[in-house]
Formats: sequence, structure tokens, C-alpha cells
Amino acid sequence: MRTKLRQNTTGLLFLLPALTLFAVFVVYPIVYNIQASTLEWDGVNPGTFIGLDNYVRLFQDPTFLITLRNSAYWIPLTIVPQALIGLLLALALNRGIFASTFYRALFFIPAILSPVVVGIVWQRVMDPFNGVFASVGKATGLDWLGGSFLADPDTAIFAVIVVNIWMWTGFSMLFYLAGLQLIDTSVLEAARIDGANSFQTTWRITFPLLKSTHLSLLLLGIIGSLKTFELVYVLTQGGPAHASEMLPTYAFQQAFQLQSVGYASTISVVLIVIAVASSLSMVRVFGAGFISGDEK
Amino acid sequence: MNRRKTAAIAGVAALGLGLAACAGGGSTGSSGGDENTVTFRSWSPIEQTTQQMVDAFETANPGTTIEATIFNYPEYLVDLQTRASSNTFPDIVGLQPGALTQQYRSNLMPLQDCAASVWGEDWQSKFYPIGIEQARAGNPEGDENFYSLPILVQTVNLWANTELFDAAGATIPTTWDELKATVGQLSGGDYAPFMLPAKDGWLRNAVFLQIVNNVNPGLVYQAESGEDSWTNPDIVTALEYWGKLFTDGIAQEGAIGLDAYPSGANQFEAGNAAMIPLGAWWIQQSDPTKDQSEIPPLSQGMAGFEPFLFPTIPGGADESQFVGGIDVALGISKDAANPDLACKVLTDWIAGEGGQKLVDTMNDVPAVAGLEPSTFTSDKQEAIWNTFVNDWLPQVKYSRYFDDPKVDQAVADALAAVATGAQTPEEAAAAIQAVSDEVNG
Repeated sequence: MRTKLRQNTTGLLFLLPALTLFAVFVVYPIVYNIQASTLEWDGVNPGTFIGLDNYVRLFQDPTFLITLRNSAYWIPLTIVPQALIGLLLALALNRGIFASTFYRALFFIPAILSPVVVGIVWQRVMDPFNGVFASVGKATGLDWLGGSFLADPDTAIFAVIVVNIWMWTGFSMLFYLAGLQLIDTSVLEAARIDGANSFQTTWRITFPLLKSTHLSLLLLGIIGSLKTFELVYVLTQGGPAHASEMLPTYAFQQAFQLQSVGYASTISVVLIVIAVASSLSMVRVFGAGFISGDEK
Repeated sequence: MNRRKTAAIAGVAALGLGLAACAGGGSTGSSGGDENTVTFRSWSPIEQTTQQMVDAFETANPGTTIEATIFNYPEYLVDLQTRASSNTFPDIVGLQPGALTQQYRSNLMPLQDCAASVWGEDWQSKFYPIGIEQARAGNPEGDENFYSLPILVQTVNLWANTELFDAAGATIPTTWDELKATVGQLSGGDYAPFMLPAKDGWLRNAVFLQIVNNVNPGLVYQAESGEDSWTNPDIVTALEYWGKLFTDGIAQEGAIGLDAYPSGANQFEAGNAAMIPLGAWWIQQSDPTKDQSEIPPLSQGMAGFEPFLFPTIPGGADESQFVGGIDVALGISKDAANPDLACKVLTDWIAGEGGQKLVDTMNDVPAVAGLEPSTFTSDKQEAIWNTFVNDWLPQVKYSRYFDDPKVDQAVADALAAVATGAQTPEEAAAAIQAVSDEVNG
């Protein structure tokens, strides 16, 4: 009994630094946010307890509903194309084509650029007055290229999504390249000897063996989508008329521009609930070891 | 769920609650620190100018130190709120009149005694009237304290590229019909006749306030305070004219997606637009303290630019109205380690040697009358400066701000909705009225 206790104490002591950091940087902000979400509070002066009123107001707020709709667009429309294009690029570069190291770096560069810089550059690229797309459109007769993609409420969110795909596809490519390096080449060799062509080898052997990479990208994609801020803020500021608003941009506006920290905390709590529910659902469906590739 | 799991969850919850140091508590505010050091945080003046002001003060007051940090405006809002909540409020802070000053009022000391001690009992007469009026905007009834004092003021207005105007034989428009005709005259080139960078809510509101005050001067502020309605036909008319900027082809294609800074301003300075709505601060492009060879040709001595007021609206006021107010105000923490030193810095920067450094860069128009740049780089620049300080600023009656941030946002949203066709002017006016009702109780 005493030996077991000593063993447990030693284990707990090893865990203590991590637990302390977890408590201070994860548990504390969450609890603080939950408490703040029950207040009418400007973040500076004393707040007033209003119970669940902020939650009632939130679910009647049309802008909040737009943010949920935009998240529903954003998650599949960024994750799937990024993964698909990233996989194709990784497959091409994994075959040792000429200057593959150069292309690998080239495709990854957007992922390490500041989203602010990317936003400013793409705003100029898509400026329908004298942007790059508009100029190309005029020169080629493809007039639709000069459309007001960022200024039209019907297209603004999709324009931002396209920029996000451009920015993060290199990141997916790098993940897939790492995954491809881990595949045992003898398996692919055996498939070829059995008569499988390139497409069959890729579709039936490589793709399934990259399962843990697909799932990691899916989880990172969902969480990344939910906390998207900089790109939207710089490209559209959530506009026009909130058409491209996301949960974090709306929370920022409420907290720091409209002085409603209590309401912004309510948005943040909902954001946490969605993120945790998504992550737990994935663990439930695919098993706790899905990222490492271990079985359930 | 077994007992061990229950205990673990309860433990985490208890830990969290224990750690949660009460959201919603008021800040007690404590600047603390060294008595010979003053901390200053703001989004304006720009960093290089602030450094010149700091150097001027420290040279004149040996042994004192000013620790200044300048942010972008959104970052500054986050920083200020965080510092107010963590008792690390700076000694001197940059503020905007109205909502921002009122949010931090409990952290700020009244400044009228400081002002009177340096400038005498009639200190208010040094300032432009609009600056004094706006400095107390939003104070509770009966509270006549000044929690901030203006350092820079401005008008919001239009600017013309005179080279493009001259080349097209066009003249500055003074009425709406002339504006439409001028845009037609300037069309067809490789520049925008009227560049409207309407992505920014502040710019949409500034343009709208010029239009609505030209339709019915002062009405919009009565609507804001609840004395009149946002659905008043004159406000709806103003919203219609705002919409016409987009539907009548006055603004460039995609205007609602273009930001003022950096995109709109860069394009205007590069000669890609004949007109743009900005404000008096545009004169800073011709900063006399800069290496003039680094300044774009149009901006050198304001060679290619000229300010003018938003044209009159049919059926509205006979003359264009002056809209503007405080650009930046300064406040002092009520817990400043050395309030006297903070007062000395603040008054120096507003009207002393520090203020002179600020004015020398033409960052904007000084809040006090009588301060002039040490040098002008052209007669045209001097003439424009004199127009602002002698002719326009003394006449500014109407604020470029709304007092409540929720109303400000509601107007910005409504203008975006009208611009994109998502709402009619009547629907937009009703949407603002709904928010106004909520704010005014």
C-alpha cells in the first residue's frame, strides 16, 4: 500500500508542472469566461449579474446565426480542398521530381507568412477597381475576374475561404509528405508486383495508410476554422454587413469595440463548447489513438 | 461514472473556481512606479513623432523619463482594457472622446485643475470650441469634469487631386449635382473619379455624418439622444444619398471592400483617384520634418492636393456644414505615481515644446489655436494649413463621432447594408432606431 502511494506520489510530482500550466492557462480562462458570460460588463467597470440573459440574447442575435452559418461553410470548404490539393502536391513531390525541395519550400511559404500581410496583398489582388484579377480579366476578356468578391455579401465569405485555402494548402502538403515517408515501400512494391497500377496503388494502398494524417488534418482544420480571426479581420473585417463574420471576429468586436465583454464571453463559451464537442466526437468515432495511428 | 472520475472532475472544477478571480470586478487602477518616470500608451501620435515629443520633454526636464508605447488602434483597445483590469494602467493614455473616455472614466483624474495651473483660469479659451465640447461628451449629468483634454483635432472632408482636376478641366464640386457631373467628367481614365474606401465603419460614418448634416444640420444628434427619430424623413434622405454614391456610379467598383488605410490612401497618393473622403490629417503626407525626396510628388508641399467640403444636398442646407472634432485626447490615471509630472507632460505635449514638435510634423491640427509649424515647404501647404486652423476648425459644430459605440456600430452596419442593397434606406433607418431604443432605454 505504502509502496503504491509512493509510486503514485512520484507520478503526480512529474505531472505537477503540466497540471499547473493546464490549470492556469486552460482551466482558469475557461472558468473566468463562463463567469463573465453571466454578466453585463464592459471589462473595466463593475459588472452586473444577469444570469443566462446573454445566452438568450445570443441565440436570438442574427449576426451570431451568421457566424454559425459561416463556420458551417468554412469547415468543409477549407479542410477538404486543402487536404485534397495538399495530398496531390505531396504525391507529386514524393516521387522525387526535379527541384522538389524548391517546390516544397515554395508551396509552404504562404503558411509561414503573416495573415495580415496575406490579407492586405489579397485585398489588392481582388480589388475590382484596379486589382490584379481585374487587370487580368480586362486583358483576357474574362470579365468575371473583376467581380467585387470581397464587397458582395453573397461572395465575401467564399473569397476569404479561397485565400485561406491558398495560405494553408502547403501546410497540408507537408503533413502528407511526412505521412508518405512513413509508409513501408515494400507494401507498395508488393502491390505493383501484384499488377496494381499507379492509381490503384495510390487509392487502395497509400490513401488508407495515410488515415492518421487525414484525421490529424481534420481535427486541426476544425479547430483552426473555429478560431479563424486575422485573415477575416484584415480582408473584410467580418463585412460587408457581417456577411463574413466568424465567431472570433464577432467576439472581438463585442469585447473591444462595443465594450460588451460579458456578451463576448458568451460567444467565447459557445466557441469552446463547439470546439470541445467536435474534438470529443472525433475521439468517440475514430478512437483516442487516431492521431498516432494506434488502434482504438 | 466511478468515484475516481467524479472526484477528478470535482477537483478540476474546484481548482478552476478557486483560480477564477472574479470576472466583473471593477479595476482599482494603480500606475505605481518611479516618481520621475511617466508611462504613456496610445495609438497616436505615430511612434517617430511621439519620440520627438518625448525627447523634447526629457531634454527640458533632466532626470525625468517617459516610457512611451504606440500601438495600432485595435491592439491599443485590447492593451488598455487588459491594463485597466490588471492594475497596470499607464500614467497618460490616448483617448477618443465619448465612449472610450467614459469607459475608463473611473480610472482617470479630472484635468481642469491641471490645465488651470499651467494655462490660467481661462485655459478653455486656448482650445477650439469643438474640442472643449467633445472632451466632456458622455459625462453623467452634473459631472462637469474634464477626464481628457484634446491634443489633436480635425475636420472630416474630401480631398481632390488637383492635377487630375486640371488635366480634365474640372472644378471642385460644391453641390450634389456638380459632384455627379464632375465624376462624369473625370470618368474614362485609369483612375477612380471618386475613391470611397468604405470597408471601414469609421469612414462610412464620417461620410454619412457629412451628408446628413448637409441635409438637416444637427438632426442626427437629436436622433441619437432620443429627442428625434432615426426614421425622420431627412435621415432617410441622407441614407438615400449615401446609397446613391454606390448606385449612381459615383464611388468606384467594389468600394465597400476597400479599406482606407493602407489601400485607399496609397492609391490616392499614387494618383489613382481624383477625390477621396478623408480629413484634415491628410496634410501629414507632406510632413516638413521628413526627407522631402522620400515624399511622393503629389504630397510634396501638398502640391497635388486640395481639401474641400462634402457638396450640399438638394433640399438641404444652403452651405456645406463643418463636421469634425477631436482626433486624439489625453487622460491621466487617477493613480499616477506623480500626477504633477504627468500634468506637466500632458500640457507640454498639448501646447508646449512637445506640442510644437507634434505640430512641426503636421500630424493633424493642434487642439489649441496659435501653434504653427516651424516651417512650411510650400505656399500651398501653408495656405491649406491656414484654411484648417483659421477658417474651418473654429466653425466645426458637428461631431464626427456618436457617443455610444452601439449606435456607432448600428449606423456603420446600416450604411454597409444600404451600400450592398441588403436594406432599403427606410429599413436601415428602422434598424438604427431599434438599437437606439435599446441604448436609450
